[in-house]
Amino acid sequence: MTTAQSNAASLSWYEASARQRVEALLDRGSFCEFIGPEQREASPHLSIFDLPEQFDDGIVIGRGRLEGSSVLIAAQEGRFMGGAFGEVHGAKLTGLLRAARMLKEDVLVLFDTGGVRLQEANAGELAIAEIMRAVIEARRAGIKVVGLIGGRAGCYGGGSLIAGTCSRLIISEQGRISVSGPEVIETNKGVEEFDSRDRALVWRTMGGKHRYLIGGADTFVDDEALAFRQAAINTLEMNGRYDLPLLTAEQQRLERRLTRFSPAADAIDVWQTLGIEAPTEIPGLPTKEFMRRAADKRENADDAR
Amino acid sequence: MSHWGMQRAALRERLAAGQRHAKGKIVPIPALPAFLKAVIRSGDRVCLEGDNQKQADILASALAALDPREVHDLHMVQSGVVLSAHLDVFDKGIARRLDFSYSGPQSARIARMLFGRKIELGAVHTYLELFARYFIDLTPHVALIAAVSADKDGNLYTGPNTEDTPTVVEATSYKNGLVVAQVTEIVAKLPRVDIPGDLVHFVVEAGKPFYVEPLFTRDPAAITETQILTAMLAIKGIYAPYGVRRLNHGIGFNTAAIELLLPTYGERLGLKGKVCTHFALNPHPTLIPAIESGWVEQIHCFGSEVGMEDYVAARSDIFFTGPDGSLRSNRAFCQTAGLYACDMFIGATLQIDLEGHSSTVTTNRIAGFGGAPNMGSDPRGRRHPSEPWLKAGAEAAPDANAALRRGRKLVVQIGETFGDNNVPLFVEQLDALALARELNLDLAPVMVYADDVTHIVTEEGIANLLLCRNTDEREQAIRGVAGYTDIGRARDPKMVERLRERGVIRRPEDLGIDPLDADRRLLAARSIKDLMLTSGGLYRPPSRFRNW
Repeated sequence: MTTAQSNAASLSWYEASARQRVEALLDRGSFCEFIGPEQREASPHLSIFDLPEQFDDGIVIGRGRLEGSSVLIAAQEGRFMGGAFGEVHGAKLTGLLRAARMLKEDVLVLFDTGGVRLQEANAGELAIAEIMRAVIEARRAGIKVVGLIGGRAGCYGGGSLIAGTCSRLIISEQGRISVSGPEVIETNKGVEEFDSRDRALVWRTMGGKHRYLIGGADTFVDDEALAFRQAAINTLEMNGRYDLPLLTAEQQRLERRLTRFSPAADAIDVWQTLGIEAPTEIPGLPTKEFMRRAADKRENADDAR
Repeated sequence: MSHWGMQRAALRERLAAGQRHAKGKIVPIPALPAFLKAVIRSGDRVCLEGDNQKQADILASALAALDPREVHDLHMVQSGVVLSAHLDVFDKGIARRLDFSYSGPQSARIARMLFGRKIELGAVHTYLELFARYFIDLTPHVALIAAVSADKDGNLYTGPNTEDTPTVVEATSYKNGLVVAQVTEIVAKLPRVDIPGDLVHFVVEAGKPFYVEPLFTRDPAAITETQILTAMLAIKGIYAPYGVRRLNHGIGFNTAAIELLLPTYGERLGLKGKVCTHFALNPHPTLIPAIESGWVEQIHCFGSEVGMEDYVAARSDIFFTGPDGSLRSNRAFCQTAGLYACDMFIGATLQIDLEGHSSTVTTNRIAGFGGAPNMGSDPRGRRHPSEPWLKAGAEAAPDANAALRRGRKLVVQIGETFGDNNVPLFVEQLDALALARELNLDLAPVMVYADDVTHIVTEEGIANLLLCRNTDEREQAIRGVAGYTDIGRARDPKMVERLRERGVIRRPEDLGIDPLDADRRLLAARSIKDLMLTSGGLYRPPSRFRNW
């Protein structure tokens, strides 16, 4: 018989809070927060709905060092209103991205979000647009903006749009990326189209393994803070080119992908088309074996980056 | 009586009527409606196998499709009212009277139908109580049961979910009743015989497995830090001092947290081998880490759990398994085991009043009882001593002659002061009382009676009701752990402090527990996937619990 292990030693990214993630990701003690909770920049809208506020409005932003290099960082707190974007929350991220351009420093965005906060939807939608513009402007100035996805709330709605503009995405198996969430699809299209309670379906459609296989994310990591850290270090070493030939190549890749997979009714059909060996086994595979089977078969966006 | 053998003659008539629609014992699916019409008579007592988990779903739909002009006034006697078809038979007027135990998923509809007088209620029973009545005054005329496979002689293999079947068949078949089984398939040779064929009169090949509800799977990912704190309190404040080795855990996140803390927190406290060695319990997936790390010696099961089949089969050192290797469960035996051979029951509830009565009935839901009322009651017929039983008995009556003093079963209610949707756990008066008034019931449906409860655990502390000497103390002990609920805020602080000095109430700090240590990292598994990995891939969680 084996001895069950206490999980005390490892930090699960999925389980961790935004602040625990920031602390585990950066060099020890290097983080310096901007507009911290002590400044009480909370949402001006939530009290109208008699909803509790959070002093950091559910996002931690600041500056720290990663393997000695200075980086800017933003981390969403998925446990506060599902990490949703409100006015202050969005403004903090916009400001950080604009600062990145001026400071010439790369940015890590730790997504954990259901999308726009319904109680401040107009401000939230505007924030999404401003953030996407700020990401593009930063990238045009040669800054890398890297998204890390593996939190409980996933990366949905406006968050997924922002992720789509990032230089690169790092994802774990637990991470999910999709514009519409499972419940939204089920509500609009019916349970026959998408059963949101079938979690295996949700994960094989929106989860980290699938996104990695179809080139919707660039790096696949274990659900461990240290794995995310190492992947972030490696990713920031790559070049941050961003120009018209690159965008054209990406557009062509997406068009090709659409044609190639459009007959597929389920993610498993997509994996079959990719030529993955025993595609039904994919969800149950440990990381190492998954990476072995994905190698040479997965689509990737490397041409475009 | 001048004519003996009338029941047997009636059975012969039913058999002959049924035979016209069957080939040997096998009833083809297309003939099922005509067959049921032929063998069921208006006014019959019918046991439609609805257990805690497995359901004779094909037979239930067929029964609900009968014409109420031809078959009506049935008296349904079944432990679980789980499928909508179970209530459709009342809506359509096929059945009139109901005696049952548990109605989990149908709790709201059954309440509406009781208020609408669509159902004439006999009683809401505990499992053992309903099983007992099958043999005394509620013996079924017809039993419609479910199994995995049958052979042409009607021998049945029930697989891991045997549950109520042997009890139902025993009561029906040996008392001239008719037994009809739905099976997934008919095979030449069964893996094992759970029910002998001469007790089974007809078999219907459904072509698909019967419906099973994964009732006992709790996702570790949903366990909160408050629940972890209550689990730490229970382990250090009750399991350890009483040395509880034989027990039953109710369903819920608090007890799931306890199971997941055994290999971490429990290990640190040096409790391995001293507590939680023998269980009457369904194969809870959250118990996998404790089993794998050698905490548990033996488990007897009421039923199985979806996805645990291969794991259980591979752990026959722990579980009861048949010659085919798979689990053998039996609800009647396991309930008896939980009642007489366990020293503790611990479980959650929805409402606790100032005396300590607890109930899961709320005004618009009648969920009935699961195993809790049997497990959570002090068996007056118990005679064998054990350390926890004697210690609890001594706490309740310190001045009595030890050799003549009954022991006490530990009956622990555990929960957070505010439950789902911030509904307070503690109430002035149970909703069950209002329900009883409205439906003219003689008894309010109480899950665990106050005089059976020995401890209440919340995040604020443990109230040991065994040490209370009068109703005032009891009330203040309950208020003293009721936190910021209205009940908790109306406490007498001086009296609560005195109770704390006497150890009637124990706070986390009194037990050397720092609430800040209640961290999810303390759980031996934090997700369903962790459980799957700990089981070496033997546990195959159902799709709805997977996030991969």
